[in-house]
Amino acid sequence: MSIIDLTSMGEPQSELQKELNERLTKLQDEISDYCFQCAKCTSGCEAHKLLELEPHKIVALLKRGLLNELVNADVIWTCMTCLKCRERCPQRVAPVEILFALKNMAVASGKQIPGKYTAMLQSILSIGLIQDIQQTTTRTNKTVKRDELGLPPLSKPTDVAKFQAGIMKIAMEKV
Amino acid sequence: MKKKYALFPGCLMPTEQYAYELSIRETLPLLGVELVDVEGFSCCGEPMKSVNQLLTLYLSARNLAIAQKHHLDMFVPCAMCHLALTECQHVLEKNPAMKERINGMLAAEDLTYTEKRHIVHTVDLLHDEIGIQKIKEHVKKPLQGLKIAAHYGCHILRPREIGRPDDSENPQKIEAILKALGAEPVYYPQKLDCCGAPLLANLPESALTKTGQKLQAIQEQQIQGLVDVCPWCHKMFDSRQTKAGETVAAKLDVPVVYLTQLLGVAFGISTEKLGLELNLSPVEKLQLEGAK
Repeated sequence: MSIIDLTSMGEPQSELQKELNERLTKLQDEISDYCFQCAKCTSGCEAHKLLELEPHKIVALLKRGLLNELVNADVIWTCMTCLKCRERCPQRVAPVEILFALKNMAVASGKQIPGKYTAMLQSILSIGLIQDIQQTTTRTNKTVKRDELGLPPLSKPTDVAKFQAGIMKIAMEKV
Repeated sequence: MKKKYALFPGCLMPTEQYAYELSIRETLPLLGVELVDVEGFSCCGEPMKSVNQLLTLYLSARNLAIAQKHHLDMFVPCAMCHLALTECQHVLEKNPAMKERINGMLAAEDLTYTEKRHIVHTVDLLHDEIGIQKIKEHVKKPLQGLKIAAHYGCHILRPREIGRPDDSENPQKIEAILKALGAEPVYYPQKLDCCGAPLLANLPESALTKTGQKLQAIQEQQIQGLVDVCPWCHKMFDSRQTKAGETVAAKLDVPVVYLTQLLGVAFGISTEKLGLELNLSPVEKLQLEGAK
């Protein structure tokens, strides 16, 4: 079981791509019916001021069928998933869900995954959690770990082989 | 009546945000909540949503199925985990085809999802399940004169349609709890602003700028401190405060505490047991040790 099975950095995942394509097409159809470009999503967008994400434009581009351009754009990775666009859209369009689908599509198409996502995924595969127990410091610079604070053992998958077998099925589904 | 929940720790709280876990374990049992430690939980899947949403759904379903196996409802103190699990349950209940597909995968671990769990977060557990009256009865050292602001965290407020612990645009439950503890909650215009944490994986500088901007606004309004209820938000506002300050060219010194830590102080529990030494922001400014 390797990370490549899940993220397709080697081979593009054609089945997963097909499924995502269907999802995006469905979103596209719904959007052409409902979004009237009021930009209420952008006015509340947490990533707008800082990183120039404009959810209403993402919706407009998808409506025009510029799927490849969107999948390859860095800006889709600036969403902070605050969910305000989904909450406030008077037409229930949910740009945040479009962005998730686009990012999933970028990964399934073999585009390089930015940042620490790969490391987190690797950690989930090996121990079930995004990171193992960390040493932290107190305000007075003493270092402490979980057990030293009298906290019970960490809850994580007990049978890692079985746990991986379950995740493997997600990777297998695409073939 | 005793309320019994499986404590779903997630990833961040049990591996580095120890103060949240310590203060939860100190305070909630006093209010009649029995927390059960269950073996075998994994990541909720939410951090992987940008990479593969099916993986998120699978991991959440897996955790719901484990809780089901133990016939327990779930107490989920992390906002991100709470959203992932609630959303997963919402999807599985509404989409039988997806439920069947996920259950097919869960069979690898001899797990199955068939029935809904009651999933609570710190805020609704305290406010709705335990209730303000009962909290008041336990207050031994009221936090008199403490003027403090609340940060809810995006993921416990939205999306409303799947059911969240508090109102999406005007949440007031933390304020109500703070008042019960004798403190004075302060309103500030940036209350609903994001902490920035979801960008930590791929745009850490921007994530910290977001944190810095919010803390700077709080500092400028001379609010005494900030209360939060999510290990991700706390990681940004407290653990990374110095770094966040650098991104906005400000020297930040805003005390940041978990709501459960304040609860503990008001209940007369020693600050050591509540992990207050683990807060890296200048919490000594709040003078909680000498709370009257």
